[in-house]
Amino acid sequence: MKRLVSILDGNTFVVSDNRGDIDPSPTFPTGLFSYDTRFLSKWELRVNGERLNPLSVDDLQYFESQFFLVPGEPTHYVDAKLSIIRHRTICGSFMEVLTILNHEDQPVELTVQLDVESDFADLFEIKDVKGKLGTTTATVDENQLRLCYQRETYRRETVITSSAPAEYRPEGLLFNLRIDAHGQWETQILVETLVEGAGGRDIRINLQRHHGRSRDEMRRELDEWLARAPKLTSDCEPLEETYQRSLVDLAALRYTPLATGDRLPTAGLPWFMTLFGRDSIITCLQTLPFTPELTAPTLRYLAMAQGVHLDDFRDQEPGKILHETRYGESTAFEEQPHSPYYGSADSTALFLILLDEYERWSGDTALVAELEHQARAALNWIDRYGDLMGNGYVWFERRNLRNGLENQCWKDSWDSISYSSGRLPDFPRATCELQGYAYDAKMRGARLARLVWGDPLYADRLEREAAELKQRFNRDFWVEKGEYYALALDTEGGQVDALSSNMGHLLWSGIVDEDRAPKVAEHLVGPRLFSGWGVRTLAVGEGRYNPIGYHVGTVWPFDNSLIAWGLRRYGFREEAGRIAEAMIDAAKYFDGRLPEAFAGYDRSLTKYPVQYPTACNPQAWSTGTPMLLIRTLLGLEPHGEHLMVDPAMPEGMGRIEVLDIPGRWGLIDAFGRGRAEHRGAARRGTD
Amino acid sequence: MGSPTDEFFASLEERGPELLPTRARGTIRFDLVEDGRVGHWFVAINRGNVLVSHEKRAADCVVSTEKRLFDEFATGAAHLITAYNRNDVSVQGNLPLLLVFRRTFPSPPGTRDPRERVRARLGGRTGPGRLRTRSPARMERQETQQ
Repeated sequence: MKRLVSILDGNTFVVSDNRGDIDPSPTFPTGLFSYDTRFLSKWELRVNGERLNPLSVDDLQYFESQFFLVPGEPTHYVDAKLSIIRHRTICGSFMEVLTILNHEDQPVELTVQLDVESDFADLFEIKDVKGKLGTTTATVDENQLRLCYQRETYRRETVITSSAPAEYRPEGLLFNLRIDAHGQWETQILVETLVEGAGGRDIRINLQRHHGRSRDEMRRELDEWLARAPKLTSDCEPLEETYQRSLVDLAALRYTPLATGDRLPTAGLPWFMTLFGRDSIITCLQTLPFTPELTAPTLRYLAMAQGVHLDDFRDQEPGKILHETRYGESTAFEEQPHSPYYGSADSTALFLILLDEYERWSGDTALVAELEHQARAALNWIDRYGDLMGNGYVWFERRNLRNGLENQCWKDSWDSISYSSGRLPDFPRATCELQGYAYDAKMRGARLARLVWGDPLYADRLEREAAELKQRFNRDFWVEKGEYYALALDTEGGQVDALSSNMGHLLWSGIVDEDRAPKVAEHLVGPRLFSGWGVRTLAVGEGRYNPIGYHVGTVWPFDNSLIAWGLRRYGFREEAGRIAEAMIDAAKYFDGRLPEAFAGYDRSLTKYPVQYPTACNPQAWSTGTPMLLIRTLLGLEPHGEHLMVDPAMPEGMGRIEVLDIPGRWGLIDAFGRGRAEHRGAARRGTD
Repeated sequence: MGSPTDEFFASLEERGPELLPTRARGTIRFDLVEDGRVGHWFVAINRGNVLVSHEKRAADCVVSTEKRLFDEFATGAAHLITAYNRNDVSVQGNLPLLLVFRRTFPSPPGTRDPRERVRARLGGRTGPGRLRTRSPARMERQETQQ
């Protein structure tokens, strides 16, 4: 596959080849996308009828790239008499500055042709762009080309204009040029995407951020974002690199949903450039110590979009926090359920966990008070609709049989939940980590009820319920024979007994009995689960184990970050450090950008981590991973108005220094050194 | 009583306080087009209280659509957000307020409680204390002993 080049600004992004061209592809989302719709499916530049060849590509910023091109195939490449530079930015709209340099000492006459098409495919249709039900028309005006898609009242439009005179045709733009000796020619081509509402107004018109910002504004915004983040210095260069990479990628992955002006984290390029309940919450949990500004808007938005009805198509129930929201045609016409879709059994508890964690860091009790109604509804959901079987656990079973998700946990592929033998259990299913999250949500809900809502009776009740759940869970999920927690329970109450990474989340939640934690830790860093690069999703030797199976053997960085955090919680400092170190080592091989997943091959076999074939990149919760690992290594924990620092770092890692960690304490610095017995120091900084 | 829309608004003052977050606040006006005429419904939400009138007053959020479509929202047959995404509903002003107001619409007609569906199918396996914890290994042992 040719190298693809992506630039993005939230959920508007361009994916092209390394010439800057977009060729229609049925398998990968190449094109210009915005709000889940492809606005350009073809964007091909020809000079004198010939396609161009790349000399180099500069990825200048996440929203900006530059292609240096010459005419002719490399095979008959002698000395180029022309250079073509395509400099493109995404700042709300897509802008390409096309420059042609004539290197000859005489004038040249050129035909420059830009072929343009849009199929207005919904992101869900890319793999199968079926007969569209609406009609696409191309309209040529004196100084623009308009491509328009209309299905009933639904309308999307791509408008292309050039600053230099052009001949606009339905299939693209044509320039007949004469460039002087050693001269140059330039044009700015602007592509605007219109999502039309009433009276032809763009429904994003209220979004300030949607209005094209200039490149300078985008750069300034990025600089400010980076300046606000804590400064990390370390002897461990890969850690510095991955931290910097993550900060930039997090900035890139922010988007503005239609309903509010805030910026929230999307889940990943290119398939998941939208709000996911689970992914966005976990990303916020990972990044709270470093970029806390993502969290409050995420909580507010998720609360606003909380489920309020019973709705089978959307797997919605009152109190439930959404799984995924989309804006494309298939969602608008109810062919897909993402308006929003609620098919996840964990996002509701995770929402409560984030709300509490956010308060612990920020001291923002006002938000906790503001969201009391929604938080109580979420707590009610856990006991009411979450407990489908009526026996005190959280279960899931989809009601949307057409395109709902079968597995409504983070491992949401169809074969992720299995018995050790490889057999798949019936529905409903109760995976173990859901019970851990429910336990944690009740404990944290109790803290908030006491602290903010002034309801100590409710707090007592929640704590009592949590304690009962913990007891029940440790009785029913513990697999005596292998001494680990089952992946799930089936409807008979039988244990779905595959050995999996899900157990690591249980440590993070605190639902594990103290005397069982050592065994859990031993499994997590033992040879069946730990590959040397990280903890596998499913252990070697299980029926469905496959080192390149999406949720049945690959290593997921975000999963590992939560596992390391959990190990730390139970005092397994060395084990947590080992996982953190493996992840940071792995990041080296991806220029600091941890992918969604990599293969579960043993480290001794591959020597480097093998990226999972179609992994999303960047992906938000992989981007958040280095930050949670740093928190874990330094043992950062809010304690009242203070930030506790208790570093536990692997020996070889050297020194880590993080300056200006924001929180209710103002700004605090934290230091750690790669010898476990050294204690870190904290000092209060100035605001 | 008249149309589903009339019934929806007639009961809104009573239903609203239970369905809306206690802190919700703001005004929404619905301009509903029927036979070329526009009917107005003005809803004021103030910390749990809901007041409904026919006034054509300035509001934080103004929603325009066909009365026929609103009848379907009122019965749960149509979905507000997809209608908005299709451009069948236009909204000016405070969109988040409308998303809060969404809570007052009913579920799609005929929707059953998912717990009842599971109970109907699995009967005796559901309910408290029904779990018989068995690991597959233990099950196999029991089977071989038999």
